[in-house]
Amino acid sequence: MTKEEGFDLFRWMATYDKRWIYVILFIVVLYPLMRPVGMPITVSELTRDYYDQINSLKEGDIVFDSWNMEFSGYMELKPGVLATHRIFIEKGVKLCIAFGHFEGVAIPDVVFSELRSVMQEYDYRELDDYIILGYILPNEAAVAALAQDFHGVVRQDWKGNPIEGTFLDQITNAGDFAMINDYTTGLATTFEVRHMVLTYGTPMVVNCIGVSIPGALANLDAGLYTGLLASTRGGAELEYLIGAPGPGLKSMDAFTFGHYMLIIFIIIGNIGHYGWARRTRYRDRTGIR
Amino acid sequence: MATFFKSRSVQLSILGLFFLIVFVPYFINIPQLEWLTTKLMIIAAVTNAFTIAIAVYSQWKRSGRFIREKRRGWAYHIYLLLLMAFMVFNGIVLGQDSTGYQWLLQAVVTPLSSVIYGILAFYMASAGARAFRARSPHAALLLIAGFVVLLYQAPLTGAFFPGFEPAADYLTKTFGMSVSRMFSISVCIGAIVLGVRMLTGKEVAFLGFGEE
Repeated sequence: MTKEEGFDLFRWMATYDKRWIYVILFIVVLYPLMRPVGMPITVSELTRDYYDQINSLKEGDIVFDSWNMEFSGYMELKPGVLATHRIFIEKGVKLCIAFGHFEGVAIPDVVFSELRSVMQEYDYRELDDYIILGYILPNEAAVAALAQDFHGVVRQDWKGNPIEGTFLDQITNAGDFAMINDYTTGLATTFEVRHMVLTYGTPMVVNCIGVSIPGALANLDAGLYTGLLASTRGGAELEYLIGAPGPGLKSMDAFTFGHYMLIIFIIIGNIGHYGWARRTRYRDRTGIR
Repeated sequence: MATFFKSRSVQLSILGLFFLIVFVPYFINIPQLEWLTTKLMIIAAVTNAFTIAIAVYSQWKRSGRFIREKRRGWAYHIYLLLLMAFMVFNGIVLGQDSTGYQWLLQAVVTPLSSVIYGILAFYMASAGARAFRARSPHAALLLIAGFVVLLYQAPLTGAFFPGFEPAADYLTKTFGMSVSRMFSISVCIGAIVLGVRMLTGKEVAFLGFGEE
């Protein structure tokens, strides 16, 4: 067999350099972030159901707010985290915040500084309305113990303030929470399902990253979750639903262009693969080059 | 006494006993056992958290060996140990509220963490674009399903072509979910089998015994 000579468009399409993808993806994502287009967005049933669950909470209800994410995961879940907390603050829901990763310690400053204006408007204060317990969900035993004997495991918040005398006095076990709200990259979520949802029947809503959605959908279908907010897209939909545009809606232009770019590259690759394979078979059969 | 506690049958008996203390109250309500169960959970949680100290010690020893023997990349291990010591000092001695610890988190750990996550988008896009080839009828079906879901995920498509939503929904809630369930059930059965093997003494490596 002789070596193929000259430029073959099909071969190029089938074997293009991956650096083309990197460069074009960079441009396609960066440009709309700098100059937003403001593309339309539809709100899925999934997000509506999640919103209904959150919206059903009443003033004074205590929610176990589980931040099962590293800082990297927070970047994907940020729109959902901000929109959900905005609803909590506006409704006067009390939050018991716990981290499932040591990087969680860096996130409250970022979240609450973004929500400062709404917190001031509703006079939402630390210790009175929300308490940050810190990194207290490192393993399954910790979650199980916390679910069974809350004050036996936790006696102070992350800054060392005693939690006695606060709204957390109303909590003895996981069954006393009105809801578990979990933002997750997949850390302690299954532990919470086992020891809080299955044992005490506390309803749980989840905001998860993209790769976890298929697994989370199965849990939602089985009734383990009562609501699911799917990744950045879900967060953007929630922002749209509550009329509070934020980082999610801003990122949807880049999200759309990125997806379309990927589809175009897949089509190019497949045309190239089909054409190149067909031509190679023809050459092998006829010997014509 | 030490020999007694090192015996395999004694360790397995202790394991079985503690397993029953925690396991039984999930199915039978025995109020007398609840206090003990909760205490055991707290002991396990605290013991588990202390494993981080063992991890730090092990890393220190391992890096020390690399540096002493001047193995490939030994300089990075000096950097690692210095940073580890700095982080431990700030976190434990000065506290997680301290400026030093917060600076390390906000200025070093979080940006690096975000960058690594961001880079993944490029690798995933590249792998997706080059791996999705209709090489067979099965692969073609997968490609079509992937196309529908990808198009639906782009917000603009849903706004102009609402027909994509039910199609993507169908694919996700049938094929996608069944695979996901299968995976979850397999993991669960695997965990149960492992648990039974551990309790019956067929899996003893976790107790420090070699396979027989």
